[in-house]
Amino acid sequence: MTFIRTHRTVATVAAFVLVYVIIKTFSILPLAEGKPLINGYYLQLIALIGINIVMTVSLGMVNGFTGQFSIGHAGFMAVGAYTSAMITTVWLHVSVANPWVGYPVFILAILVGGLMAAGAGYLVGAPSLRLKGDYLAIVTLCANELIRTVIRVTEVLNGPRGLGGIPKFTNLEVIFVFTIVSVVLMRNYVFSSHGRSMKAIRDSEIAAEAMGINTTRQKVFVFAFSAFFAGVSGGVFAHLLQYIHPDNFSFVKSLEYLIYLYVGGSESISGAIIGPAIFTLLPELMRGLKDWRMVIYPLILILTMIFRTEGIMGLKEFSFILIPQRKRKEANT
Amino acid sequence: MALLTISHLTQFFGGLRAISDFNIELEHGEIVGLIGPNGAGKTTVFNVLTGIYVPTKGTIVFDGQNIVGKKTHQITQAGIARTFQTIRLFSKSSVIDNIKIAYHSRIPYGDADAFLHTHKYWQGEQFLDDYAIDLLRLFHLEQHADDISGSLPYGAQRRLEIARALATKPKLLILDEPAAGMNPAEADELMETIRWLRDKFDLTILLVEHQMRVVMGVCERIKVMDFGETICEGLPEHVRNDPRVCEAYLGKGA
Repeated sequence: MTFIRTHRTVATVAAFVLVYVIIKTFSILPLAEGKPLINGYYLQLIALIGINIVMTVSLGMVNGFTGQFSIGHAGFMAVGAYTSAMITTVWLHVSVANPWVGYPVFILAILVGGLMAAGAGYLVGAPSLRLKGDYLAIVTLCANELIRTVIRVTEVLNGPRGLGGIPKFTNLEVIFVFTIVSVVLMRNYVFSSHGRSMKAIRDSEIAAEAMGINTTRQKVFVFAFSAFFAGVSGGVFAHLLQYIHPDNFSFVKSLEYLIYLYVGGSESISGAIIGPAIFTLLPELMRGLKDWRMVIYPLILILTMIFRTEGIMGLKEFSFILIPQRKRKEANT
Repeated sequence: MALLTISHLTQFFGGLRAISDFNIELEHGEIVGLIGPNGAGKTTVFNVLTGIYVPTKGTIVFDGQNIVGKKTHQITQAGIARTFQTIRLFSKSSVIDNIKIAYHSRIPYGDADAFLHTHKYWQGEQFLDDYAIDLLRLFHLEQHADDISGSLPYGAQRRLEIARALATKPKLLILDEPAAGMNPAEADELMETIRWLRDKFDLTILLVEHQMRVVMGVCERIKVMDFGETICEGLPEHVRNDPRVCEAYLGKGA
Protein backbone atom coordinates (compact mmCIF):
# COMPACT_ATOMS: atom_id res chain seq x y z
CA MET A 1 0.00 0.00 0.00
CA THR A 2 2.73 2.39 0.99
CA PHE A 3 4.61 1.28 -2.10
CA ILE A 4 1.74 2.07 -4.46
CA ARG A 5 1.23 5.39 -2.79
CA THR A 6 4.83 6.56 -3.08
CA HIS A 7 5.08 4.91 -6.49
CA ARG A 8 2.17 6.95 -7.82
CA THR A 9 3.50 10.18 -6.36
CA VAL A 10 6.94 9.55 -7.87
CA ALA A 11 5.34 8.83 -11.26
CA THR A 12 3.31 12.03 -11.11
CA VAL A 13 6.30 14.16 -10.15
CA ALA A 14 8.39 12.43 -12.83
CA ALA A 15 5.77 13.25 -15.46
CA PHE A 16 5.83 16.92 -14.48
CA VAL A 17 9.63 17.02 -14.45
CA LEU A 18 9.63 15.47 -17.91
CA VAL A 19 7.25 18.13 -19.22
CA TYR A 20 9.48 20.77 -17.66
CA VAL A 21 12.65 19.30 -19.20
CA ILE A 22 11.05 19.17 -22.65
CA ILE A 23 9.87 22.78 -22.48
CA LYS A 24 13.21 23.92 -21.09
CA THR A 25 15.15 22.05 -23.79
CA PHE A 26 13.12 23.52 -26.63
CA SER A 27 13.41 26.96 -25.11
CA ILE A 28 17.23 26.71 -25.25
CA LEU A 29 18.11 24.61 -28.32
CA PRO A 30 18.44 26.85 -31.38
CA LEU A 31 16.29 24.75 -33.73
CA ALA A 32 14.32 27.42 -35.59
CA GLU A 33 16.85 29.32 -37.72
CA GLY A 34 19.26 29.82 -34.87
CA LYS A 35 16.49 30.63 -32.36
CA PRO A 36 14.77 28.29 -29.90
CA LEU A 37 11.38 26.85 -30.88
CA ILE A 38 9.79 27.99 -27.65
CA ASN A 39 10.50 31.71 -27.54
CA GLY A 40 9.76 34.29 -24.88
CA TYR A 41 6.21 34.71 -26.13
CA TYR A 42 5.42 31.05 -25.62
CA LEU A 43 7.18 30.99 -22.26
CA GLN A 44 4.98 33.87 -21.17
CA LEU A 45 1.95 31.95 -22.36
CA ILE A 46 3.02 28.86 -20.42
CA ALA A 47 3.50 30.98 -17.30
CA LEU A 48 0.02 32.47 -17.72
CA ILE A 49 -1.42 28.98 -18.04
CA GLY A 50 0.21 28.00 -14.74
CA ILE A 51 -1.19 31.09 -13.00
CA ASN A 52 -4.62 30.57 -14.53
CA ILE A 53 -4.61 26.92 -13.42
CA VAL A 54 -3.96 27.85 -9.78
CA MET A 55 -6.56 30.63 -9.93
CA THR A 56 -9.15 28.27 -11.42
CA VAL A 57 -8.43 25.35 -9.10
CA SER A 58 -8.67 27.66 -6.08
CA LEU A 59 -11.91 29.15 -7.40
CA GLY A 60 -13.16 25.60 -7.83
CA MET A 61 -12.66 24.99 -4.11
CA VAL A 62 -15.39 27.57 -3.39
CA ASN A 63 -17.65 27.37 -6.43
CA GLY A 64 -17.31 23.75 -7.42
CA PHE A 65 -16.64 21.71 -4.31
CA THR A 66 -18.36 23.81 -1.64
CA GLY A 67 -21.13 25.03 -3.93
CA GLN A 68 -20.89 28.71 -2.96
CA PHE A 69 -21.13 31.05 -5.93
CA SER A 70 -18.30 33.58 -5.70
CA ILE A 71 -17.50 35.90 -8.60
CA GLY A 72 -14.87 38.14 -7.03
CA HIS A 73 -11.78 35.97 -7.25
CA ALA A 74 -9.69 38.56 -9.12
CA GLY A 75 -10.06 40.93 -6.17
CA PHE A 76 -8.02 38.59 -3.97
CA MET A 77 -5.52 38.20 -6.78
CA ALA A 78 -5.13 41.99 -6.74
CA VAL A 79 -4.48 42.01 -2.98
CA GLY A 80 -1.71 39.44 -3.41
CA ALA A 81 -0.26 41.12 -6.48
CA TYR A 82 -0.07 44.57 -4.91
CA THR A 83 1.20 43.35 -1.53
CA SER A 84 4.03 41.32 -3.01
CA ALA A 85 4.94 43.96 -5.58
CA MET A 86 5.09 46.64 -2.90
CA ILE A 87 7.40 44.48 -0.78
CA THR A 88 9.86 43.56 -3.55
CA THR A 89 9.74 46.76 -5.56
CA VAL A 90 8.92 49.72 -3.35
CA TRP A 91 10.02 48.75 0.15
CA LEU A 92 12.94 46.37 -0.29
CA HIS A 93 14.14 47.24 -3.82
CA VAL A 94 15.35 43.71 -4.57
CA SER A 95 16.33 42.83 -8.13
CA VAL A 96 16.91 39.76 -10.27
CA ALA A 97 20.57 40.72 -10.50
CA ASN A 98 21.11 39.44 -6.98
CA PRO A 99 19.15 36.15 -6.90
CA TRP A 100 20.44 34.99 -3.49
CA VAL A 101 18.73 37.89 -1.81
CA GLY A 102 16.06 38.39 -4.44
CA TYR A 103 14.42 34.98 -4.50
CA PRO A 104 13.99 34.51 -0.73
CA VAL A 105 12.46 37.98 -0.56
CA PHE A 106 10.27 37.21 -3.57
CA ILE A 107 9.03 33.93 -2.06
CA LEU A 108 8.37 35.61 1.25
CA ALA A 109 6.62 38.48 -0.53
CA ILE A 110 4.21 36.24 -2.47
CA LEU A 111 3.42 34.30 0.71
CA VAL A 112 2.71 37.53 2.58
CA GLY A 113 0.58 38.54 -0.41
CA GLY A 114 -1.28 35.25 -0.07
CA LEU A 115 -1.85 35.81 3.64
CA MET A 116 -3.15 39.33 3.04
CA ALA A 117 -5.51 37.93 0.42
CA ALA A 118 -6.62 35.23 2.87
CA GLY A 119 -7.30 37.98 5.40
CA ALA A 120 -9.35 39.84 2.82
CA GLY A 121 -11.11 36.57 2.00
CA TYR A 122 -11.94 36.10 5.66
CA LEU A 123 -13.29 39.65 5.94
CA VAL A 124 -15.49 39.16 2.89
CA GLY A 125 -16.45 35.58 3.65
CA ALA A 126 -17.24 35.66 7.36
CA PRO A 127 -20.25 37.97 7.12
CA SER A 128 -21.41 37.07 3.61
CA LEU A 129 -21.22 33.28 3.46
CA ARG A 130 -24.57 32.99 5.20
CA LEU A 131 -25.99 34.31 1.95
CA LYS A 132 -26.71 31.91 -0.84
CA GLY A 133 -26.64 31.81 -4.61
CA ASP A 134 -27.28 35.11 -6.34
CA TYR A 135 -26.91 37.12 -3.14
CA LEU A 136 -23.46 35.78 -2.36
CA ALA A 137 -22.50 36.36 -6.00
CA ILE A 138 -23.45 40.03 -5.73
CA VAL A 139 -21.57 40.53 -2.47
CA THR A 140 -18.38 38.95 -3.83
CA LEU A 141 -18.72 40.95 -7.04
CA CYS A 142 -18.98 44.13 -4.98
CA ALA A 143 -15.99 43.09 -2.87
CA ASN A 144 -13.99 42.61 -6.06
CA GLU A 145 -14.88 46.08 -7.34
CA LEU A 146 -14.35 47.58 -3.90
CA ILE A 147 -10.80 46.24 -3.73
CA ARG A 148 -10.08 47.48 -7.25
CA THR A 149 -11.46 50.93 -6.51
CA VAL A 150 -9.59 51.24 -3.24
CA ILE A 151 -6.34 50.45 -5.08
CA ARG A 152 -7.22 53.03 -7.73
CA VAL A 153 -7.53 55.83 -5.19
CA THR A 154 -4.62 54.83 -2.95
CA GLU A 155 -1.66 57.08 -3.70
CA VAL A 156 0.89 54.78 -2.03
CA LEU A 157 -0.02 52.05 -4.50
CA ASN A 158 0.42 54.50 -7.38
CA GLY A 159 -3.36 54.63 -7.86
CA PRO A 160 -4.67 54.69 -11.42
CA ARG A 161 -1.17 54.94 -12.91
CA GLY A 162 -0.44 51.33 -11.99
CA LEU A 163 2.63 49.88 -10.38
CA GLY A 164 5.62 49.35 -12.67
CA GLY A 165 9.26 48.33 -12.56
CA ILE A 166 8.53 45.07 -10.75
CA PRO A 167 11.53 42.69 -11.02
CA LYS A 168 10.85 39.66 -13.19
CA PHE A 169 11.29 36.89 -10.66
CA THR A 170 8.74 34.60 -12.30
CA ASN A 171 10.49 32.19 -14.62
CA LEU A 172 9.70 28.70 -15.87
CA GLU A 173 11.00 27.03 -12.70
CA VAL A 174 8.98 29.28 -10.41
CA ILE A 175 5.85 28.60 -12.45
CA PHE A 176 6.32 24.83 -12.32
CA VAL A 177 7.00 24.66 -8.60
CA PHE A 178 4.23 27.14 -7.79
CA THR A 179 1.63 25.39 -9.93
CA ILE A 180 2.44 21.86 -8.80
CA VAL A 181 2.70 22.68 -5.09
CA SER A 182 -0.54 24.69 -5.11
CA VAL A 183 -2.51 22.08 -7.02
CA VAL A 184 -1.20 19.21 -4.89
CA LEU A 185 -2.05 21.03 -1.64
CA MET A 186 -5.59 21.77 -2.79
CA ARG A 187 -5.99 18.26 -4.21
CA ASN A 188 -4.96 16.84 -0.83
CA TYR A 189 -7.49 18.98 0.95
CA VAL A 190 -10.31 17.87 -1.32
CA PHE A 191 -9.41 14.23 -0.69
CA SER A 192 -9.68 14.49 3.08
CA SER A 193 -12.41 14.49 5.66
CA HIS A 194 -12.53 18.28 5.34
CA GLY A 195 -12.92 17.98 1.58
CA ARG A 196 -15.77 15.55 2.04
CA SER A 197 -17.53 18.02 4.31
CA MET A 198 -17.12 20.68 1.61
CA LYS A 199 -18.99 18.41 -0.78
CA ALA A 200 -21.56 17.67 1.92
CA ILE A 201 -22.25 21.39 2.27
CA ARG A 202 -22.67 21.59 -1.49
CA ASP A 203 -25.12 18.67 -1.61
CA SER A 204 -27.21 19.63 1.43
CA GLU A 205 -26.16 22.25 3.91
CA ILE A 206 -28.98 21.34 6.31
CA ALA A 207 -27.97 17.69 6.38
CA ALA A 208 -24.29 18.61 6.74
CA GLU A 209 -25.06 20.75 9.79
CA ALA A 210 -27.27 17.98 11.20
CA MET A 211 -24.37 15.55 10.82
CA GLY A 212 -22.27 17.65 13.16
CA ILE A 213 -20.28 19.65 10.63
CA ASN A 214 -19.64 23.27 11.56
CA THR A 215 -20.67 24.47 8.14
CA THR A 216 -20.00 28.16 8.79
CA ARG A 217 -16.44 27.51 9.88
CA GLN A 218 -15.82 25.15 6.96
CA LYS A 219 -17.18 27.60 4.38
CA VAL A 220 -15.22 30.55 5.73
CA PHE A 221 -12.03 28.49 5.94
CA VAL A 222 -12.37 27.30 2.34
CA PHE A 223 -13.09 30.85 1.20
CA ALA A 224 -10.00 32.15 3.01
CA PHE A 225 -7.58 29.53 1.73
CA SER A 226 -8.99 29.86 -1.77
CA ALA A 227 -8.25 33.59 -1.48
CA PHE A 228 -4.76 32.70 -0.22
CA PHE A 229 -3.94 30.79 -3.41
CA ALA A 230 -5.46 33.59 -5.47
CA GLY A 231 -3.19 36.03 -3.64
CA VAL A 232 -0.10 33.93 -4.29
CA SER A 233 -1.11 33.66 -7.95
CA GLY A 234 -1.43 37.43 -7.99
CA GLY A 235 2.12 37.76 -6.66
CA VAL A 236 3.50 35.41 -9.28
CA PHE A 237 1.47 37.25 -11.94
CA ALA A 238 2.85 40.66 -10.88
CA HIS A 239 6.43 39.38 -11.08
CA LEU A 240 5.75 37.96 -14.52
CA LEU A 241 4.20 41.00 -16.22
CA GLN A 242 6.34 43.46 -14.22
CA TYR A 243 3.55 46.01 -14.37
CA ILE A 244 0.18 45.81 -12.67
CA HIS A 245 -2.80 48.08 -12.98
CA PRO A 246 -5.97 47.99 -10.84
CA ASP A 247 -8.04 47.40 -13.97
CA ASN A 248 -6.17 44.13 -14.54
CA PHE A 249 -8.20 42.80 -11.62
CA SER A 250 -11.72 43.94 -12.46
CA PHE A 251 -14.63 41.55 -12.27
CA VAL A 252 -14.16 40.83 -15.98
CA LYS A 253 -11.02 38.98 -14.91
CA SER A 254 -13.08 37.09 -12.33
CA LEU A 255 -15.52 36.12 -15.05
CA GLU A 256 -12.65 34.73 -17.09
CA TYR A 257 -11.83 32.32 -14.27
CA LEU A 258 -15.48 31.37 -13.90
CA ILE A 259 -15.53 30.51 -17.60
CA TYR A 260 -12.38 28.37 -17.30
CA LEU A 261 -13.84 26.62 -14.29
CA TYR A 262 -17.28 25.82 -15.64
CA VAL A 263 -16.03 24.85 -19.09
CA GLY A 264 -13.42 22.56 -17.57
CA GLY A 265 -15.76 21.05 -15.01
CA SER A 266 -16.39 22.80 -11.72
CA GLU A 267 -16.56 19.68 -9.57
CA SER A 268 -13.30 18.22 -10.78
CA ILE A 269 -9.74 19.34 -10.10
CA SER A 270 -8.74 17.94 -13.48
CA GLY A 271 -11.42 20.10 -15.07
CA ALA A 272 -10.05 23.17 -13.31
CA ILE A 273 -6.63 22.31 -14.79
CA ILE A 274 -7.68 21.49 -18.32
CA GLY A 275 -10.17 24.39 -18.63
CA PRO A 276 -7.65 27.22 -18.22
CA ALA A 277 -4.99 25.27 -20.12
CA ILE A 278 -7.15 24.95 -23.24
CA PHE A 279 -8.85 28.30 -23.07
CA THR A 280 -5.68 30.28 -22.41
CA LEU A 281 -4.04 28.70 -25.44
CA LEU A 282 -7.02 28.75 -27.76
CA PRO A 283 -7.30 32.51 -28.38
CA GLU A 284 -3.55 32.62 -29.06
CA LEU A 285 -3.67 29.67 -31.46
CA MET A 286 -6.53 31.36 -33.31
CA ARG A 287 -4.65 34.60 -33.95
CA GLY A 288 -4.56 33.67 -37.65
CA LEU A 289 -8.33 34.10 -37.78
CA LYS A 290 -7.92 37.85 -37.10
CA ASP A 291 -11.27 39.55 -36.36
CA TRP A 292 -13.17 36.28 -36.45
CA ARG A 293 -11.23 35.05 -33.45
CA MET A 294 -13.59 36.63 -30.95
CA VAL A 295 -16.55 35.15 -32.79
CA ILE A 296 -15.20 31.61 -32.91
CA TYR A 297 -13.94 31.59 -29.31
CA PRO A 298 -17.31 32.24 -27.65
CA LEU A 299 -18.93 29.86 -30.12
CA ILE A 300 -16.61 27.11 -28.95
CA LEU A 301 -17.51 28.00 -25.35
CA ILE A 302 -21.23 27.85 -26.07
CA LEU A 303 -20.96 24.55 -27.90
CA THR A 304 -18.91 23.05 -25.07
CA MET A 305 -21.51 24.08 -22.53
CA ILE A 306 -24.34 22.68 -24.66
CA PHE A 307 -22.73 19.31 -25.24
CA ARG A 308 -20.84 19.00 -21.94
CA THR A 309 -23.08 20.75 -19.43
CA GLU A 310 -21.02 19.56 -16.48
CA GLY A 311 -17.82 20.78 -18.13
CA ILE A 312 -15.25 18.92 -20.18
CA MET A 313 -14.27 16.62 -17.31
CA GLY A 314 -17.68 16.34 -15.63
CA LEU A 315 -17.07 14.64 -12.29
CA LYS A 316 -14.08 12.64 -13.54
CA GLU A 317 -10.47 13.10 -12.50
CA PHE A 318 -7.22 12.25 -14.25
CA SER A 319 -5.68 9.22 -12.59
CA PHE A 320 -2.67 11.24 -11.41
CA ILE A 321 -5.02 13.50 -9.44
CA LEU A 322 -6.73 10.68 -7.59
CA ILE A 323 -5.43 9.33 -4.30
CA PRO A 324 -4.67 5.62 -4.63
CA GLN A 325 -7.12 3.60 -2.55
CA ARG A 326 -6.07 0.56 -0.62
CA LYS A 327 -8.02 -2.65 -0.97
CA ARG A 328 -10.72 -2.93 1.64
CA LYS A 329 -10.41 -5.58 4.30
CA GLU A 330 -12.64 -8.62 3.99
CA ALA A 331 -15.76 -9.11 6.08
CA ASN A 332 -15.13 -9.66 9.76
CA THR A 333 -18.49 -10.69 11.11
CA MET B 1 -31.65 10.69 35.59
CA ALA B 2 -33.51 11.08 32.35
CA LEU B 3 -31.46 11.36 29.17
CA LEU B 4 -33.58 14.17 27.79
CA THR B 5 -35.79 16.51 29.76
CA ILE B 6 -37.81 19.15 27.98
CA SER B 7 -39.74 21.35 30.34
CA HIS B 8 -42.23 24.15 29.75
CA LEU B 9 -41.21 24.52 26.14
CA THR B 10 -43.11 27.29 24.39
CA GLN B 11 -42.53 28.58 20.90
CA PHE B 12 -44.16 31.61 19.35
CA PHE B 13 -43.96 32.60 15.71
CA GLY B 14 -45.12 36.20 15.89
CA GLY B 15 -48.59 35.89 17.39
CA LEU B 16 -48.93 32.19 16.62
CA ARG B 17 -48.26 29.79 19.46
CA ALA B 18 -46.81 26.72 17.78
CA ILE B 19 -46.00 24.88 21.00
CA SER B 20 -47.30 25.69 24.45
CA ASP B 21 -45.92 24.30 27.66
CA PHE B 22 -44.54 21.11 26.19
CA ASN B 23 -42.95 18.65 28.63
CA ILE B 24 -41.30 15.32 27.98
CA GLU B 25 -38.80 13.07 29.68
CA LEU B 26 -36.97 10.34 27.84
CA GLU B 27 -35.31 7.62 29.86
CA HIS B 28 -32.27 5.87 28.53
CA GLY B 29 -33.20 3.02 26.16
CA GLU B 30 -36.81 4.03 25.58
CA ILE B 31 -38.64 4.16 22.27
CA VAL B 32 -41.10 7.01 22.42
CA GLY B 33 -43.53 8.14 19.74
CA LEU B 34 -44.64 11.70 19.11
CA ILE B 35 -47.80 11.90 17.06
CA GLY B 36 -50.51 14.34 16.19
CA PRO B 37 -52.45 15.59 13.18
CA ASN B 38 -50.87 17.95 10.65
CA GLY B 39 -50.01 21.30 12.19
CA ALA B 40 -49.94 19.91 15.73
CA GLY B 41 -46.44 21.20 16.37
CA LYS B 42 -44.43 17.97 16.06
CA THR B 43 -42.04 19.40 13.52
CA THR B 44 -41.56 22.52 15.63
CA VAL B 45 -40.59 20.41 18.64
CA PHE B 46 -38.21 18.65 16.33
CA ASN B 47 -36.68 21.85 15.02
CA VAL B 48 -36.28 23.31 18.49
CA LEU B 49 -34.66 20.13 19.69
CA THR B 50 -32.15 20.14 16.82
CA GLY B 51 -31.26 23.79 17.25
CA ILE B 52 -32.96 25.20 14.16
CA TYR B 53 -35.19 27.45 16.31
CA VAL B 54 -34.38 28.98 19.67
CA PRO B 55 -37.47 28.47 21.86
CA THR B 56 -39.36 31.42 23.28
CA LYS B 57 -39.48 29.81 26.71
CA GLY B 58 -38.47 26.58 28.39
CA THR B 59 -35.43 24.42 28.92
CA ILE B 60 -34.02 21.39 27.17
CA VAL B 61 -31.54 19.38 29.19
CA PHE B 62 -29.80 16.59 27.34
CA ASP B 63 -27.40 14.28 29.11
CA GLY B 64 -26.92 16.80 31.90
CA GLN B 65 -26.28 19.84 29.73
CA ASN B 66 -28.59 22.61 28.64
CA ILE B 67 -28.77 22.67 24.85
CA VAL B 68 -31.03 25.67 24.35
CA GLY B 69 -29.32 28.21 22.11
CA LYS B 70 -26.71 25.76 20.83
CA LYS B 71 -26.12 25.41 17.11
CA THR B 72 -27.31 22.37 15.21
CA HIS B 73 -23.85 20.89 14.76
CA GLN B 74 -23.07 21.35 18.45
CA ILE B 75 -26.24 19.51 19.40
CA THR B 76 -25.33 16.71 17.03
CA GLN B 77 -21.88 16.52 18.57
CA ALA B 78 -23.50 16.39 22.02
CA GLY B 79 -25.25 13.19 20.93
CA ILE B 80 -28.58 13.88 19.21
CA ALA B 81 -28.78 12.60 15.66
CA ARG B 82 -31.68 12.76 13.27
CA THR B 83 -32.96 11.49 9.97
CA PHE B 84 -35.05 13.54 7.59
CA GLN B 85 -38.63 13.14 6.51
CA THR B 86 -37.66 13.74 2.89
CA ILE B 87 -34.38 11.97 2.30
CA ARG B 88 -31.45 14.36 2.43
CA LEU B 89 -28.44 12.28 1.56
CA PHE B 90 -25.28 13.80 0.14
CA SER B 91 -26.54 12.57 -3.17
CA LYS B 92 -23.48 13.27 -5.30
CA SER B 93 -21.12 11.57 -2.84
CA SER B 94 -20.56 7.85 -2.66
CA VAL B 95 -22.40 5.72 -0.10
CA ILE B 96 -19.30 5.23 2.03
CA ASP B 97 -18.48 8.96 1.89
CA ASN B 98 -21.93 9.71 3.36
CA ILE B 99 -20.91 7.71 6.41
CA LYS B 100 -17.47 9.29 6.56
CA ILE B 101 -18.94 12.80 6.40
CA ALA B 102 -21.04 12.08 9.48
CA TYR B 103 -17.86 11.05 11.29
CA HIS B 104 -16.13 14.34 10.42
CA SER B 105 -16.54 16.05 13.79
CA ARG B 106 -14.51 13.29 15.44
CA ILE B 107 -11.81 12.93 12.78
CA PRO B 108 -8.41 12.79 14.49
CA TYR B 109 -6.58 15.14 12.13
CA GLY B 110 -6.78 18.86 11.37
CA ASP B 111 -6.69 21.20 8.38
CA ALA B 112 -2.90 21.12 8.13
CA ASP B 113 -2.85 17.30 7.99
CA ALA B 114 -5.50 17.49 5.28
CA PHE B 115 -3.32 19.78 3.14
CA LEU B 116 -0.13 17.81 3.63
CA HIS B 117 -1.50 14.26 3.83
CA THR B 118 0.64 13.51 6.85
CA HIS B 119 1.01 10.16 8.54
CA LYS B 120 -1.83 11.17 10.85
CA TYR B 121 -4.05 11.65 7.80
CA TRP B 122 -3.35 8.20 6.40
CA GLN B 123 -3.90 6.58 9.77
CA GLY B 124 -7.15 8.45 10.27
CA GLU B 125 -8.44 7.64 6.80
CA GLN B 126 -7.56 3.98 7.11
CA PHE B 127 -9.32 3.68 10.43
CA LEU B 128 -12.32 5.57 9.08
CA ASP B 129 -12.56 3.37 6.00
CA ASP B 130 -12.70 0.25 8.18
CA TYR B 131 -15.21 1.86 10.51
CA ALA B 132 -17.47 2.98 7.66
CA ILE B 133 -17.45 -0.36 5.87
CA ASP B 134 -18.29 -2.18 9.10
CA LEU B 135 -21.22 0.14 9.68
CA LEU B 136 -22.43 -0.30 6.09
CA ARG B 137 -22.21 -4.06 6.52
CA LEU B 138 -24.64 -3.90 9.44
CA PHE B 139 -27.13 -2.25 7.10
CA HIS B 140 -26.39 -4.59 4.18
CA LEU B 141 -25.05 -1.73 2.10
CA GLU B 142 -21.40 -2.77 1.81
CA GLN B 143 -21.75 -3.95 -1.80
CA HIS B 144 -22.89 -0.42 -2.72
CA ALA B 145 -20.07 1.31 -0.81
CA ASP B 146 -18.60 3.05 -3.85
CA ASP B 147 -21.85 3.77 -5.68
CA ILE B 148 -23.19 7.31 -5.81
CA SER B 149 -25.75 7.49 -3.02
CA GLY B 150 -28.35 9.27 -5.14
CA SER B 151 -28.52 6.23 -7.41
CA LEU B 152 -29.59 3.77 -4.67
CA PRO B 153 -33.15 2.42 -4.54
CA TYR B 154 -35.48 4.17 -2.08
CA GLY B 155 -35.34 1.57 0.66
CA ALA B 156 -31.55 1.49 0.60
CA GLN B 157 -31.43 5.30 0.80
CA ARG B 158 -33.61 5.17 3.90
CA ARG B 159 -31.26 2.60 5.47
CA LEU B 160 -28.25 4.70 4.54
CA GLU B 161 -29.80 7.74 6.21
CA ILE B 162 -30.11 5.84 9.47
CA ALA B 163 -26.59 4.44 9.14
CA ARG B 164 -25.28 7.93 8.49
CA ALA B 165 -27.02 9.30 11.59
CA LEU B 166 -25.42 6.52 13.62
CA ALA B 167 -21.95 7.49 12.41
CA THR B 168 -22.25 10.63 14.53
CA LYS B 169 -22.28 8.28 17.58
CA PRO B 170 -25.60 9.50 19.02
CA LYS B 171 -27.18 8.69 22.34
CA LEU B 172 -30.56 9.86 21.14
CA LEU B 173 -31.82 9.14 17.64
CA ILE B 174 -34.77 11.09 16.29
CA LEU B 175 -36.54 9.53 13.34
CA ASP B 176 -38.71 11.93 11.35
CA GLU B 177 -41.43 9.89 9.63
CA PRO B 178 -39.21 6.96 8.72
CA ALA B 179 -42.16 4.99 7.35
CA ALA B 180 -43.18 7.66 4.85
CA GLY B 181 -43.80 6.07 1.49
CA MET B 182 -43.42 2.49 2.77
CA ASN B 183 -45.83 -0.37 2.12
CA PRO B 184 -47.02 -2.54 5.09
CA ALA B 185 -44.34 -5.18 4.55
CA GLU B 186 -41.57 -2.57 4.54
CA ALA B 187 -43.12 -0.92 7.60
CA ASP B 188 -42.99 -4.24 9.47
CA GLU B 189 -39.35 -4.54 8.59
CA LEU B 190 -38.78 -0.98 9.77
CA MET B 191 -40.27 -1.79 13.18
CA GLU B 192 -37.86 -4.67 13.51
CA THR B 193 -35.00 -2.37 12.53
CA ILE B 194 -35.97 0.25 15.10
CA ARG B 195 -35.96 -2.29 17.94
CA TRP B 196 -32.71 -3.76 16.67
CA LEU B 197 -31.14 -0.29 16.52
CA ARG B 198 -32.04 0.44 20.11
CA ASP B 199 -30.51 -2.83 21.35
CA LYS B 200 -27.49 -2.91 19.08
CA PHE B 201 -26.40 0.71 19.50
CA ASP B 202 -27.73 1.27 23.01
CA LEU B 203 -29.93 4.13 21.84
CA THR B 204 -32.91 6.07 22.98
CA ILE B 205 -35.28 6.67 20.10
CA LEU B 206 -37.82 9.40 19.53
CA LEU B 207 -40.13 8.62 16.65
CA VAL B 208 -42.27 11.14 14.84
CA GLU B 209 -44.62 9.23 12.59
CA HIS B 210 -47.96 9.30 10.83
CA GLN B 211 -48.45 5.60 10.23
CA MET B 212 -50.32 4.42 13.32
CA ARG B 213 -49.37 0.81 12.61
CA VAL B 214 -45.72 1.63 13.14
CA VAL B 215 -46.24 3.92 16.10
CA MET B 216 -48.51 1.48 17.93
CA GLY B 217 -46.31 -1.46 17.02
CA VAL B 218 -42.95 -0.18 18.18
CA CYS B 219 -43.34 2.62 20.73
CA GLU B 220 -43.37 1.95 24.42
CA ARG B 221 -44.83 5.34 25.20
CA ILE B 222 -46.72 7.77 23.01
CA LYS B 223 -47.29 11.47 23.28
CA VAL B 224 -50.10 13.03 21.27
CA MET B 225 -50.08 16.70 20.31
CA ASP B 226 -52.74 18.92 18.83
CA PHE B 227 -52.54 22.66 18.23
CA GLY B 228 -49.28 22.85 20.12
CA GLU B 229 -50.62 21.23 23.25
CA THR B 230 -50.17 17.77 24.66
CA ILE B 231 -53.60 16.15 24.66
CA CYS B 232 -52.69 12.66 25.77
CA GLU B 233 -49.78 10.50 26.73
CA GLY B 234 -49.15 6.99 27.89
CA LEU B 235 -49.07 3.41 26.69
CA PRO B 236 -50.21 2.62 23.13
CA GLU B 237 -53.45 0.96 24.30
CA HIS B 238 -54.29 3.91 26.47
CA VAL B 239 -53.69 6.39 23.65
CA ARG B 240 -55.64 4.32 21.15
CA ASN B 241 -58.76 4.45 23.33
CA ASP B 242 -58.52 8.07 24.37
CA PRO B 243 -61.55 10.03 23.11
CA ARG B 244 -59.53 13.25 22.74
CA VAL B 245 -57.11 11.56 20.40
CA CYS B 246 -59.91 10.24 18.23
CA GLU B 247 -61.41 13.70 18.19
CA ALA B 248 -58.15 15.32 17.17
CA TYR B 249 -57.70 12.95 14.26
CA LEU B 250 -61.26 12.42 13.12
CA GLY B 251 -63.23 15.35 14.46
CA LYS B 252 -66.16 15.44 16.89
CA GLY B 253 -68.87 12.84 16.60
CA ALA B 254 -66.80 10.42 14.59
